[in-house]
Amino acid sequence: MSAPIKETFPAPAERPVAKTPVRPGDRRGEGVALNAFSHGFLALWALLIVLPLLWLVLSSFKSDTQIGGSAFGWPQHWSFDVFSRAWDKGIGDYFLNTVIVLVFSVPLTMLFGSMAAYVLARYRFWGNRLLYYFFVAGAMFPVFLALVPLFFMVKRLDMLNTYQGLILVYVAYSMPFTVFFMHAFFRTQSTAVYEAAILDGASHTRTFFQVMLPMAKPGLISVGIFNTLGQWNQFILPTVLMQPQSGSDPERYLLTQGLIQLQQQQGYASDLPVLFAGVTIAMIPMLVVYLSFQRQVQAGLTSATLK
Amino acid sequence: MGSTAHHGAEGVGRRDLIKRSAALGMVAAPGMGLLSGCASGGGGDSDEGGDTKGKTSKDNPFGAKKGSKLDVVVFKGGYGDDYAKAWEADFSKKLGISSTHTGTQEITGKLQPRFNAGNPPDIVDDSGAQQIKVDVLYKNGQLLDLSEVLDAPSVDDPAKKVRDTLIPGTLDPGMQEGKIVALNYIYTVWGLWYSGKLFKDKGWEVPKTWDDFLAICKDAKSQGIGGLAHQGKYPYYINVAIMDLIAKKGGLDAMKAIDNLDPKAFVGSDAAQEAIEAIYEVVEKGYLMPGTNGLTHTESQTRWNQYKAVFITSGSWLENEQLKQTPTDFDMKFLPMPLLSGSTLPFEAIRAGSGEPFVIPAKAANRPAAQEFMRRMLSKEWSTLFAKQANSLTILKDGVDPGVRLRPGTQSTVEASKAAGDNTFRYLYTEWYGEMGTAIEAASNELMAKRIQPKEWLKRCQAAVDKQAKDPASKKNHRD
Amino acid sequence: MRKGQYRFVAGFLFVPVALYLIFVIWPYIQTFGYSLTNWKGQSQTFDFVGLDNYKALVEDDVFLKAIWHNVFFLVFIPVITILLALFFAFMLNAGGRGRAGGVQGVAGSRLYKIVYFFPQVLSLAILAVLFNAVYRSDGGGLLNGFLIKLGLVDADSPVEWLNEPDMVLWALLLVVVWHGVGFYLVLFSAAMQSVPRDIYEAALIDGAGRGQSFFRITLPLLWDTVQTAWVYLGIVAMDMFVLVSSMTQNMGAYGGGPDHHSDVMSTVMMRNFLYYGKSGYACAMGVVMLLLTLVLSVVTLRATRRERIEF
Repeated sequence: MSAPIKETFPAPAERPVAKTPVRPGDRRGEGVALNAFSHGFLALWALLIVLPLLWLVLSSFKSDTQIGGSAFGWPQHWSFDVFSRAWDKGIGDYFLNTVIVLVFSVPLTMLFGSMAAYVLARYRFWGNRLLYYFFVAGAMFPVFLALVPLFFMVKRLDMLNTYQGLILVYVAYSMPFTVFFMHAFFRTQSTAVYEAAILDGASHTRTFFQVMLPMAKPGLISVGIFNTLGQWNQFILPTVLMQPQSGSDPERYLLTQGLIQLQQQQGYASDLPVLFAGVTIAMIPMLVVYLSFQRQVQAGLTSATLK
Repeated sequence: MGSTAHHGAEGVGRRDLIKRSAALGMVAAPGMGLLSGCASGGGGDSDEGGDTKGKTSKDNPFGAKKGSKLDVVVFKGGYGDDYAKAWEADFSKKLGISSTHTGTQEITGKLQPRFNAGNPPDIVDDSGAQQIKVDVLYKNGQLLDLSEVLDAPSVDDPAKKVRDTLIPGTLDPGMQEGKIVALNYIYTVWGLWYSGKLFKDKGWEVPKTWDDFLAICKDAKSQGIGGLAHQGKYPYYINVAIMDLIAKKGGLDAMKAIDNLDPKAFVGSDAAQEAIEAIYEVVEKGYLMPGTNGLTHTESQTRWNQYKAVFITSGSWLENEQLKQTPTDFDMKFLPMPLLSGSTLPFEAIRAGSGEPFVIPAKAANRPAAQEFMRRMLSKEWSTLFAKQANSLTILKDGVDPGVRLRPGTQSTVEASKAAGDNTFRYLYTEWYGEMGTAIEAASNELMAKRIQPKEWLKRCQAAVDKQAKDPASKKNHRD
Repeated sequence: MRKGQYRFVAGFLFVPVALYLIFVIWPYIQTFGYSLTNWKGQSQTFDFVGLDNYKALVEDDVFLKAIWHNVFFLVFIPVITILLALFFAFMLNAGGRGRAGGVQGVAGSRLYKIVYFFPQVLSLAILAVLFNAVYRSDGGGLLNGFLIKLGLVDADSPVEWLNEPDMVLWALLLVVVWHGVGFYLVLFSAAMQSVPRDIYEAALIDGAGRGQSFFRITLPLLWDTVQTAWVYLGIVAMDMFVLVSSMTQNMGAYGGGPDHHSDVMSTVMMRNFLYYGKSGYACAMGVVMLLLTLVLSVVTLRATRRERIEF
């Protein structure tokens, strides 16, 4: 693409002495313009992400009137009352319910998904390929379609509005992705290690759990991240499956449902600040978790692609 | 009311509620409705069965049994659900029957499974975006014929039957094959709304003709105020104004042409043409509130409450919906659609009807109590409770205790209804032909955004009518 | 294969396959059954109508238009998201100049990686709330407010972002891209970091520019990852339900406006399912969606098939 770089361009600010390359590898400046553009664009995108979020948080301190008025007013008074109002609407419980479900559903997804992916990737048997496609194709089906029959299925199992019901459904609906990605992973694993384990007399099951699965840890982490995000954001399935079945059945709404409910209430009694506050409350723990684990997340994804 | 009984009726008001709430766009809706959602809300205690029939007496014609439980599920929308809680408290006090109360926006989500499973609540306000269609419930044998309730003695005057204490015609929307299976409880009027305070400040007179209306819009615009606001994200609302203009200009004939899918319902109808040109004039002259075409109902209404527009289209739920946003001295007022010249109906004529269907499931575990509950809903005491808590009128004739001070908007609807007398009208196509209604709304949305002209609007609406006329299902409905 | 192996294979497959059959496949099959009926969704009574629903579908302009909107998303969501993510990933990993020479990311790249990922942790419900506020059609909207401040937009005629046939799909697209870029950026930079550094440095010594090293080295080595991203984004494009239904002009129910210009298959389907009460018909739409996605996934899988390792 670009022609060999001219060396006469001004050096970047942090490198005061740089008229000529110090070593061959030290190429500065493919053009200040390009550079400025790239940096500018990076910074701009970061702003595009941060500003709307900050604005939303800020808006939760405003009054309804102000929100409708101008996009840029500052809140008149910094009252945290709105957050407690949002909290009173059950955001805390919804949050807890979501965590309870995910604590089980993600590991189970990874376990069963890996098991299926593993045998599909490493064992030849009749129908292998068919089964693989059967799993993977499911990734693309619209969930809506299955909702009504699914509801009746879960009902028949007497698992409506139960954690275990939702967990099983999450596991089932995460299967396609998990199988797809873990399959790729197991296929590229060293055959030598596997053969060594088998030669040592390890059973297939032991080989999987003690040798192959640990070796796939990077993959498990990254697919696990995919699944955590996906299940965290899932809203249709809980909406359908997690409704109290009678007056005495406790409400076990998940966070997404709770937010939707808040948003729905806007239609009848406008209280935008509470909605924004609820969204802020829902957003912050996820950001905190991400910030604390972002190294692992990135490392997981990195190793996932190191095949 | 201008309507006769028809199939598939779903109360007028409800439909509106649906639309505007469907609005909300909610994300959620998908799920829930769709799904057969989930179950229920209200208490399951009542389905434990047992004998719920107590002794009947003059004060207790259905034999509601003391100590039994009533499972109440109420749509918690523009009217909130405080009114139902107040009723339940009174019911418990007077009859010793306690209730499990569920207020929700997800009627379908919560109740469909319970209907399917045969353990529905005892009484349901089946309204809102996720309402279960009344005709569908009826066809599945899920609804109790309400004639026993309607023929029972009125609480206020035992000499009269309940049905004789109601505003005429308000039961019609709840009729299926000649049986009343849903009680459309709330009396709703549609039209324009304005702020009495703003009018006073500006020295405007209430416009009775379209020209007066335009003059006010013009004056407002010169002072930096939008003339007309509407809830653009839900074209349902502007359609209220358009269709009302057609009705008032062309009278019953114009309405019948549309409801009966006449080949000249729009194209070739002078009333339709003049009405849409009148609306388009508002668009063309820039009298719309800036941005109103893209706003949701709450956004738009809140701006109107902030005096950013003079008029807004809506039904009488508006006041309650905007309670928190309305300045105390706003003085909300209802206005019948101003008249085009040469109109058939008088200025006072208004679109009016009953909405918010309450049903008693056929399999209600505590039927006697549910019937008694409904009978009491149609008493002056409970109707007044409703007016106080929900700022709206019920279908009970003179149903509000004169001692109660209504909010200004509701008060103005009372006066408008009185002035209208028998001059109320309504369309039926919205109940009968959902797809056609949607097509007309879509065309109106295009017109408001100036992407099509009145001529094109007429053509598109006529096309929607013609398409619907080809549907064999349309043969079943006819407006006389 | 030995007998024990079969038992092992069957044992490992049993639970996953059972769960998948019960909760995923069986419901879909039932949906197909419903598509041959005039089911109204609220009860279990309906009549068999054969292929009538499918015949009606071919003439349903709204649905046919919706398919093209999905195609629009299917093309542009992956292309734009992946290009942006690749660009950012490259900038962050190889765009800077190291003090000691060699290849490294631009200043602050760690911070960027964190910030860019933020939107990914927000659920679609939150996105809808946020962007409804951003796109609000009067001065209270972030975008309009900003443009009015700059004097680019007249306060009396703000832009109705979501009520413009030519803009609405792009406005929705932007939300998806905003949401997704961070994730793919991290995914791609992970892949880039796995490219041995000396390859870059060798290229640099050979006089390759950043652009050249990107297209000659980075992209080919990342191809697998890009394909993975494509699959994932394709699924997003086939759905779009939440954003369309909660952000666009209402066409009866579930958004889709103005004038069906933003309707996608899922919103049309849901509208028929619930609002029009034509649930059997909606199921037929679902089956068509299913077939389309199936074709799509087969095509994608073919394209992304990797070599099988040797045993």
